[in-house]
Amino acid sequence: MPRSHTASAKSSVARQRKPASRAAAGRKRPAPVTSDAPSPALPVKAASGLRVRMYRVGFGDFFLLSVPTATGPSHILIDCGVHAKDLGSIRAAVTQMAKDCSNRLSLVIMTHRHADHISGFGSCADIFAQIEVARVWMPWFENPANPKAAAFQASLVAMAGDLGRQFRARLAAGSDPQADQLLRMAENITGGLGGAGIAANQKALDVLHGGFKGTQPAHDYYKAGDPPVLPPDLAAGGLSAEILGPPIDDVLIGQMTNKNEQYLAGATESGDQPERLKPFGNAFRGKREDYGDKAFAPYGFERMLRMLDAAQPDVLAAQAQAADKTLNNQSLVILFSFGGKNLLFAGDAQWGNWENFLYGGAYGTPGHTQLTAKAQDILGKIDFYKVGHHGSANATPKDAVKAMRIGCVGMCSTQEHAYNEVPREPLLDALRQRMNDQLARSDQVAAGADAPANPLAGPLPNAFSAPEKQLFIDYTF
Amino acid sequence: MSHRQRFKCDDVTPASQAPASAAREIPDDIFSTTEIPFPSERPLNVYAFDPSLGKFVGNQMVTHVRYESLEPGPIGERFAVIDYDGSQKTFYKPVDLDEPKLLMTHGLAPSESDPRFHQQMVYAVASETLQRFEFALGRRVRWRTRLDRSHPPAPRGASRRLSLFPHAMCEANAFYSPDAHGILFGYFKASRTNPGRNLPGQTVFTCLSHDIIVHETTHAIVDGIREHFMEPTNVDVAAFHEAFADLAALFLHFSHNEVLVDTLQKTGGKLFEYKLKGDAELAPGGTPAIQSQLSTENPLIALATQFGEAAGRQSSLRSALMTPATPEGAKDIATKIEPHERGSILVAAVFDAYFTVYGRRTFDLFRIFRAGGGSVDKADLPAPLANRLAMEASRTAEEFFTICARALDYCPPVDITFGDFLRALLTAHLDYTPDDPDRIRDALMQAFRLRGIVAENATSFSEDALFWPKVVRGSLRVPGLTFGDPNGLTKEEKDHNGDVLRAFALKNAEKLGFDDKAGEIEAPSFHPMFSTGKDGKLYVSMVVELVQTMRVPFGPGVPGTFPLRNGVTLLIAQDPPEHDKRPDPRVRFVIPKLYRPEREERVRNFYIASGRATTQPSGHDDDKRFRLDFALLHAGV
Repeated sequence: MPRSHTASAKSSVARQRKPASRAAAGRKRPAPVTSDAPSPALPVKAASGLRVRMYRVGFGDFFLLSVPTATGPSHILIDCGVHAKDLGSIRAAVTQMAKDCSNRLSLVIMTHRHADHISGFGSCADIFAQIEVARVWMPWFENPANPKAAAFQASLVAMAGDLGRQFRARLAAGSDPQADQLLRMAENITGGLGGAGIAANQKALDVLHGGFKGTQPAHDYYKAGDPPVLPPDLAAGGLSAEILGPPIDDVLIGQMTNKNEQYLAGATESGDQPERLKPFGNAFRGKREDYGDKAFAPYGFERMLRMLDAAQPDVLAAQAQAADKTLNNQSLVILFSFGGKNLLFAGDAQWGNWENFLYGGAYGTPGHTQLTAKAQDILGKIDFYKVGHHGSANATPKDAVKAMRIGCVGMCSTQEHAYNEVPREPLLDALRQRMNDQLARSDQVAAGADAPANPLAGPLPNAFSAPEKQLFIDYTF
Repeated sequence: MSHRQRFKCDDVTPASQAPASAAREIPDDIFSTTEIPFPSERPLNVYAFDPSLGKFVGNQMVTHVRYESLEPGPIGERFAVIDYDGSQKTFYKPVDLDEPKLLMTHGLAPSESDPRFHQQMVYAVASETLQRFEFALGRRVRWRTRLDRSHPPAPRGASRRLSLFPHAMCEANAFYSPDAHGILFGYFKASRTNPGRNLPGQTVFTCLSHDIIVHETTHAIVDGIREHFMEPTNVDVAAFHEAFADLAALFLHFSHNEVLVDTLQKTGGKLFEYKLKGDAELAPGGTPAIQSQLSTENPLIALATQFGEAAGRQSSLRSALMTPATPEGAKDIATKIEPHERGSILVAAVFDAYFTVYGRRTFDLFRIFRAGGGSVDKADLPAPLANRLAMEASRTAEEFFTICARALDYCPPVDITFGDFLRALLTAHLDYTPDDPDRIRDALMQAFRLRGIVAENATSFSEDALFWPKVVRGSLRVPGLTFGDPNGLTKEEKDHNGDVLRAFALKNAEKLGFDDKAGEIEAPSFHPMFSTGKDGKLYVSMVVELVQTMRVPFGPGVPGTFPLRNGVTLLIAQDPPEHDKRPDPRVRFVIPKLYRPEREERVRNFYIASGRATTQPSGHDDDKRFRLDFALLHAGV
């Protein structure tokens, strides 16, 4: 029974829910009309055999999507990194992945350049040097031919490095959990300093740009709406893809660079410690007694001083958070369709990126207060969702959760105590409700002998499997 | 009557021999006194813009603030300047403006290296700003004393005086902080690579920028007037604060006569032009050879030049006319969300109207000038014409500033949008100037329309539809409300009014549009006002905020609740007595922002989107995250 996906948005959500939830129970459906790959076998072929494998490495994303084709499975690697709470299992996991794909990846996708998504390419460069890759997809920010984007990324990394140094100085002065976390945020951007003083993330990027085996892959740099080029084996196999993020528009870039300059001015150029900037000569130094008591009324001197101190903003902290968010929002957001199944990989996209996809523009401005018909349509038909940003609340907007098809399944790579409130239990609960409890967490299996499963994460839901009982979790359609 | 000696020689009798009762009785004379009259104003040196403009025409000027006796600081009635450096952990010596030497010289001369001049300038400009607002509003402005009702009340006197910290921190930032009950100004090193007109790496003081001082003082004033305006419930709120403060700073530029006349001459009367020609003539298409041939930016419509250039941005911080009045410009309202950029759309709209009205008012002068054979394109304007134009420009600026200030009283008490502000501007102007010979209202309306700013809920984009609806005369009255006199209310009168208003709100909840079951209706503020109308009559009125707070859960996936506020602003008039009886005060306008499910959803989404739902509630002050933090807003993060 062929169904049209071009029905008007309002009715399509209402009408789709019921049949779609039954579809999750194994009902076969034809592929959506968006697939442009000429494949005569498609109408009879179901999604069976399509597999998502999530490796447990700690706080980081590492997914392998295996697509059945006429010549056996083809593999797509989506991110490979760990940053905070490294369980030491990344090497084992990459080795496992190399075996899983028989040293041949059709496609490598880097959603964005945070260490928790790319560090594996650097730290396991020797393994990747043995893997053949046909294509690499990255967000448009990584395009070396775009000088604006390159300058932006470079300044972001420079700023993060500077912030990192300042947070280190704070930590040297004494233990400070907040500074610790901010340092992690900054180092997620640089990857921290590796050998020879080269930022570890740069090494990973070098691998992505040309550290694979043999002929180097073709690189594509995508923005929302670009028609992506799939390697021939995947296209012939019936896979199709759509790029939903990151958005691009000149106003946005203008804003970004402008904003960036603003915080750059505060951070990267402040080579001098504030203590050394002495604005006036010693003759002008005064003391409390120079003022009458009236000056400090009605609060009194002590309290006024405390109020003044408390009001000083932690601009560095805000800068670190803003930079972190900026990078997350560069995430490639990809919708894969195969055999009638739709899989949404959203990287770590935060609000700004989602906003464009969900509302078609800045939320709250005229005409952008409701989900677009397209967003409703897409979310209403997804079967698989890679939970954004390790389950943090800012990476899956409520409206998105509400629009997701009931009965889809989800995978969330996460690790507790890496950041405050990640993963965010209430969000995971809301997702579970939407997914009939079929939400897998990477910490539901052991990473290795010394990193057991997290008992608080609960048992692995029954739609998933852990064939080796450790290191990875599978979802097979 | 005793016969007094008209003339007398010096009395040479030694004091010891003088008769004991020598002091002749001098009758009291109530018409003469030897006391030196109090001056009404205190002249003080300030920069009209900031130090980077050097001795540019009129940059070093004397401003006049209301006279008051000052303690070293200066510490006055409304402001206390406390020069404590938070990063050096030291005080700087306070200036004593009552020192005779300084009284002779309008205070200290402008100087970057003497912190005492900085203190003087901060005091002078902040006072000037406050006085302009109080003049426009027709009442005293109180400073906010506590962040919300859950806090203990501030000590007495806090609502009278605000602290100014001219060198609070070493940061490229300046902001109003309700937590510190003051304004914190930072200082920083100018960019080494792209310092603009500054020396690379020189120290830049935000407290020496006239614009920044006015801007921050305006934030404090608005916060004092409106209790809930700091809650960023929609995309316009933060932008509104920025725009409003920028408008105050910009309109003040037009009161600097010297700069104004100079700009008029260099632009041939077209005040709105970006670039001023250099002093020396430059052939068309020629390259400037000396500095006086360089064209400069029009200082009247640029803001905080030095700060912007020092922080490494190409041009000034924000220029008033950034969004053009074209369909292209109208798109900005749908795409710009960064508060300063969004705010500049509002600033551009108001300034468009201002320059349009200025054009209408000076059109005849240009015609007369041209009829006499003058050309506005070639030569500099003759001085008398420039002076007449300057008069019109500054009068019109004064008028626009007043409309903007008064419009604050005509805004709903919560959840302000640009559209609300447009409606407030129009209604305020209608109220004070019913006839509108220069079509100011029309100019405002068109300028807003061209930039895509519309009022939600207004049925059409016409004057009548945009005025807030008027309550039918006499159909809603507030018996028992006390207006006091222009010097303010006593504590007893205030308590009484609070009770009266709460009882009134409860009784008329339905009429006003509240759901009385949704929560208690409070009266966070009421201000009596006394103004003279154009007809010479004295009008006695009161602006009242009524606000109801609901705690609404964020919903699935997000824990906690947020405050959703519904409210109305009431404008209440006290009519003169009739038949020896004072009529009950009459409600003239009910300016609403009431509960609607869409609004709840919008506020919720906006809080979630701006990350306010995600942070762990921080102990005692849970609602702090639902307030704007100017510290970060201005740091550009």
